[in-house]
This record gives sequence, C-alpha cells and structure tokens, in this order.
Amino acid sequence: MLGVVGVAAGGFLGRRIYQSLEAPATTYHLAITEALVEMVDRTPVYHWAFEDLDNPARLPQMPGPLLKAIEGDAIQIEITNNLPDPHGFRIPGVPGDIGSGIVIQPGKTEIIAFDAPVGGSYLYFDHLNRPVNRVLGLHGPMIVLPKEGNTPYSNPTPNVQKLFDHLGTTEHFPGEPWNPERTRIWFFSTVDPRFNAMAERGEKIDQARFADEYLPRYFTINGESGAYSSHNHHTTPEGRIGQPHLIRIMNAGMTADSPHIHGNHVYLLARRDAAGALRIQENVPLVDTFTDEVSQCMDWLLPFIRPPDIPGDENIPLRQLIPTELSMTLGGVSQSPLTYPMHGHNEQSQSAAGGNYPQGLVTGWAITGDLDGVDFPPPNPEEKGGPPEAH
Amino acid sequence: MTLRNIPLRPVPREELPVFHKHVCPPTFSGDAIDPVTPTRRIARNLAVNIDLELRDGTKVPLWILEDPDDPVGGQVFPSKTVRTVEGDIIHARVGAKLNTHTIHWHGIEPTPMNDGVGKHSFEISGNFVYQFATNQAGTFLYHCHKNTALHFEMGLYGAFIVDPKKPDTAEAADVPDPPYPDGGPGYVRTVNPPYNVIKYDVEALWVPDDIDTRWHQLGHNAFMQKCNPDSPTAAENFTQDGILNDFWPDVFLWSGEPRSADDDTPFEKAAVNARVGQTILIRFIDATYTVNEIRFGLPARVISEDGYPFGVPPRGQYSQPFDLTAGEPIRITAAMRGDVLIKATKPGRFPCTIDFFHWITGKQLYRATTFINIT
Repeated sequence: MLGVVGVAAGGFLGRRIYQSLEAPATTYHLAITEALVEMVDRTPVYHWAFEDLDNPARLPQMPGPLLKAIEGDAIQIEITNNLPDPHGFRIPGVPGDIGSGIVIQPGKTEIIAFDAPVGGSYLYFDHLNRPVNRVLGLHGPMIVLPKEGNTPYSNPTPNVQKLFDHLGTTEHFPGEPWNPERTRIWFFSTVDPRFNAMAERGEKIDQARFADEYLPRYFTINGESGAYSSHNHHTTPEGRIGQPHLIRIMNAGMTADSPHIHGNHVYLLARRDAAGALRIQENVPLVDTFTDEVSQCMDWLLPFIRPPDIPGDENIPLRQLIPTELSMTLGGVSQSPLTYPMHGHNEQSQSAAGGNYPQGLVTGWAITGDLDGVDFPPPNPEEKGGPPEAH
Repeated sequence: MTLRNIPLRPVPREELPVFHKHVCPPTFSGDAIDPVTPTRRIARNLAVNIDLELRDGTKVPLWILEDPDDPVGGQVFPSKTVRTVEGDIIHARVGAKLNTHTIHWHGIEPTPMNDGVGKHSFEISGNFVYQFATNQAGTFLYHCHKNTALHFEMGLYGAFIVDPKKPDTAEAADVPDPPYPDGGPGYVRTVNPPYNVIKYDVEALWVPDDIDTRWHQLGHNAFMQKCNPDSPTAAENFTQDGILNDFWPDVFLWSGEPRSADDDTPFEKAAVNARVGQTILIRFIDATYTVNEIRFGLPARVISEDGYPFGVPPRGQYSQPFDLTAGEPIRITAAMRGDVLIKATKPGRFPCTIDFFHWITGKQLYRATTFINIT
C-alpha cells in the first residue's frame, strides 16, 4: 500500500502532491488511462495519465504517483494499459529492461520487478513515440534514498559528502543537518492543448511534427501553475533559518528552462541526463539559476541560511532587526513569514494562454523563523499597501 | 467510458488574498523600511523609451532603466552598470516614471520588500528606496520584475557588479580604489590566499540577448491577468490569448549591439583588446530567452558562477575553479552569470562565439562572433 501523503482536505486526490518519504511501498498497482485535467485558467485539457489503483480516490494523477524506495528494496510495479494503443514504461538509470523501456499492449498488465538502484532522483515515463507519450501526461517521479549515509546518494563525491557533513555542524551552517523529510519535488511539464486534442480524437501524432510545431500554452510544477503552484505547502519548502531542504527538479516537458531561486543561492548537487546517467557534482557550486534540460533530473540543496544581504548585525535575530517589515500587511497578505519566489527565467514559461503573468512555472519558499527556534511574529491585519495598478 | 476530470485544487476563502496578490500586487512608495545608515547611494528610474537601431536602419523600441544622476551616460542599453563594493550597505532610490515597476537585484539576497517581486511585496508607484547589502563580490544583474516576460525582454535590465576591496600589496598601488572603472584594471574575488583576489588588467562585459521584434510592439501590461479581488481564480479573470509563450527571436545581440538573423558580421562592441602579459576578466550575463554556448577562443579559467566564487571559504569551499580549453563551450541559459580569466600569452586575433539554440526545438538559431585581439 502506498503511503498516502500530503492529501488536501476533502479527499481531493487528483493532483499528486509530494511531501515526506515514509516507509517505502514494495508493490505499486498502476493503470495507464485518460482524463481531463483543468489548467490554471480552468480550461480542461485531455491527457493520458497514470492512476494509482491502490489509492482509494481512484483518480488519474498528473504527474504520476511518486515511486519511492530505499536502495536495494525489492520493488514490484504492476501496470495495466487501459488505453486502446500500446504504451511504454521506462525509468532511465535503472539497469536492464526497465532502464531501456518495456511495452504494455492494450488491455494487458505487465509486472515489473527490480531492486531499487542507487540513491537519486529518477524520471519515469512512457518512452513510445518519444517525446509524444511522455509529454501528453504519462510521466512521474521516482526517488531512491541510499541505504546508509547522511546524503541523498549512495556514492557521494567528496565535496557533496563534506557539504552534508557541515550542515548543522559548522559556523557557516548553524542549525540542523539535512533531514530526508525536508525534501520537495518540483516536477516540471508543459502542455500544448492542440496535440492533446489530437490524442483525444484518436489521431496519430507524428513525432517530427510534434517536435517542430510544439508551442507550450501551460507550464506546470507538480501539475499546477502560477498561484496554485506558488501556494501549495506540499511544493514550497518552509522552515526556519538552519533547516536545509533538498529540492529534486525533474523536467518531463518540452522546454529547456532556467529556474531561478530568490533569497538563497543553492548548491547544485547532481544531474541525471535524458539517457539516465547520474552525475554527482565533483564541483558543488553555489548558483541562483541553472539550466534544466529536457528530461533532466537536477538536485539542489537549499541551505536555508539567513538571506546574506540583509544589512545589520548577524547576531541579532531577524525578528528584532526587521520588525517593521515583519509587521506589515501589503495587498491583504502579511510580510511575515518571509517568502521568496522560484521561477523560470526563460520567462516565456511564466505565461499561461500566452499571457497571464505570472501563472506559469513558478513556486516559492518561506522562512518562518529565526535560527534560535523562535517563529516570526503573527500577521498584523493593518493594511499598508495602495491599490494595484489597474490592468 | 466517461472521461474523469482532474479539477483545479479548491482554494479556501482565507487563501483568496494571496491568490489575488499573486497577480495584482499592491502599490507602495517611500523611504527604506527598517532603515540603517547606507555606505553608498544609487538611483535608477524606469521606464525610459529608446530605439535600438539595426544595421539596416530599422528601429526596435526598447525600455531601459536610466541613472538620473548621470546626464551624460545615464541612458544606455544594456542599462547602466551598477558598481558597488563588497560590504557596502546600499540605498537604491528607484523611480517608477511610467506606470508601476520594481527592481529585482538578481542574485543579491535581501528581505522580500527589498527583493523587488510584486507578488511577494509590492510594486512601486512613484518612488521607493530599496535597502540591501552587497556582501558578496561578483557579477550580478538587476531588472524589472513586473510582467517580467515582457519587461526583461524589452530591455529593463543591466549589470550589477560588486567589487572586492584592494589587497594590501605593492602591486595594488597602480589600481584605483573600488568600485573599479568599467573595463579595468581592478581586482576580482577568487580563491587565492591570503586575500582571495586576483588583479586583472582588462575587463569585458559580455551580455548575450535576443529579440523577438513582435514582442516589442506590445504595451506595458500586455496580456496580464485581470484583477478581481472577489474571485481571483475565476476563469473570467484571465485575459484573451497572448503571444508571450511564443518566443522566436529575429535579432541577436552581444552587449547591446544588434545583428539580424541573416547577418553574421562580427560584433565590434564586445571585442577585447589586450597586450601580451595582461590578464583579461570576462564577466558574462545571459539576458536571452534561448539556450546558449559561449566559446572563448583561448584557454580560460572559470572562477565563479552567479556571483559566488568557487573555492572561497566558507560557503564556496565545496567547489574549485575549472579550466576550459580553447574553444570548449560553456552552456548557459537566461540570467546565469560567470567570471572567466584569460591570460594573454601570445599575440593574435582569437575568435570567440556565442551560439543561440531555440528553447523548445534545441535547433541552432544564430552564431555570434567577436574577437580577443592580443598585441
């Protein structure tokens, strides 16, 4: 049974949301099916999608269910193809047939069994008619944690190991070590409804035409866009200074993105390329923006340090150093806690329906309190902002 | 079988304000919040309309940020470089001359009200004084963060360079105090104990950019979602179809100098001139909406990325500078920056290129060429 995590109130289960890694399931029952997925402007768009048959809500999900395991766990995935054409299943980076892809005929069930490979982020998808079937919704994340150690990897490089050893134990990283519970997945994808409509009509979609004419109209993180992906607690890292988070970025869509995070630089830890090769960084740079190639997995460590360019004595808690800002309400929203965005800097990705900024590939994170464990003050309802510019 | 529907997540009533603010940020103006005494003051106004003249005489409308305190060189493209010194506390007076705007000091990390993102704070109506420190010497940028897809494309950006202090050495006597003059000489932060700086003689600022001229006919608020505080998530709040998802550049730029797609004439403004024995520092800032590869034409050492030097303790100790052979590319996308050192060891004219690849198809759109000239 899959641990059901991060389920919003009211039994809403359609969009898969990720939070903590609980005890890993050993058997998954998935179906390949179809659904209408409502976009950020409420346009319903036909998709192919995975469905988690163990989930009592029995709804397709976009992206597909989170597969999670510890290195060496025996994993069994039963996949039933409920659509009228063959579909595939591939996890690049897993040795053997699963890494190169298997085919499931219409109406058939295939059982895939493998030992969880080395620790890291993995993208699974339907590899047939590539990239069509992947982009039309048959994609999802897999996370494997290493059997031992304090990093996300089975064979960390010396610099990655040193970084994780330093979290919570050195003067420049006061606070806590990384806790695997402090992990977020940012699963990127794109939607061009013209091709989804062809799939809905049962038309064959030509690979070459798809690659040449694809124009994304929607950009999603964990199946959501804009205000939705920015204000979903299962997507946005939240914590006090000194509570580092791991962010696993996966790109199942059609665009090269340039994700940019505000408030803290992040450490680039590892990338897995489209073929599945994992490269853990020998050189672990601090970046605020980094290229996310198509079909790439990329891991960031968000250190949750005090934003380094706030002027003033570092020994004074922020709640005492910036009391005015923390007490302000602007546009009906409190400035406490401190929130920062992450967004694509290939800024076309910030649009929806060709406009509607910022309703695309955007989310954020929040610093909720100081290093000493004291949270920032509660919201003050007194409004200080003026009316927005009309447009 | 009836198609099942995956609906949008229902938004609880108490979350409606944050959904409304996401697209309709409030306005605000005034002095610095939680003020401290600054060590340096800067000023920028936006937006100023100028025309970019292509080589065939065609004019493309741009919007830039101006330095109101510089009547001679305050209106340039890319917008005038901001230069501060490591450890400075900055008061940045920003005037929104036309409509509302913000400035995001990209890579500098202050509080949200000084970070210039409307949905996390406000947009400026009139004037506001942003307050932040520049605690890390390196290459940053600044840009408007309102309807950013359009405003960044229109030219509302410039370089932001934070210089390290001079070391206490005899060699430093010939170098002026920071902020160093644009073009050099100066010092750049890199791992090099005990001061962790290196002197450069010649400095170049390389800014690849690309323009889709269709976008440059659009208005300030083009295709923005409507503002209805009572139902910010309702479908009717969304505008009609726009084109801001459709970027297909037809003009390519290197540090503000334009070329049409069919014009492969080498770029002149970005050319670097140095003498044998000198050290060249190239700072690159990617202002494109494509994927790019830069080739430096000579062996080069990459010493920092996104303003943070490799190898400098404490937080840079998990990385090291790395070397590129002559012609080995470095692949970058929008808003990434880096600092690269090149030693001028032999005379010659060394071609350097920037390739532009489409952000969806990956196909090459343009190759820009300039030269490092060593005498």
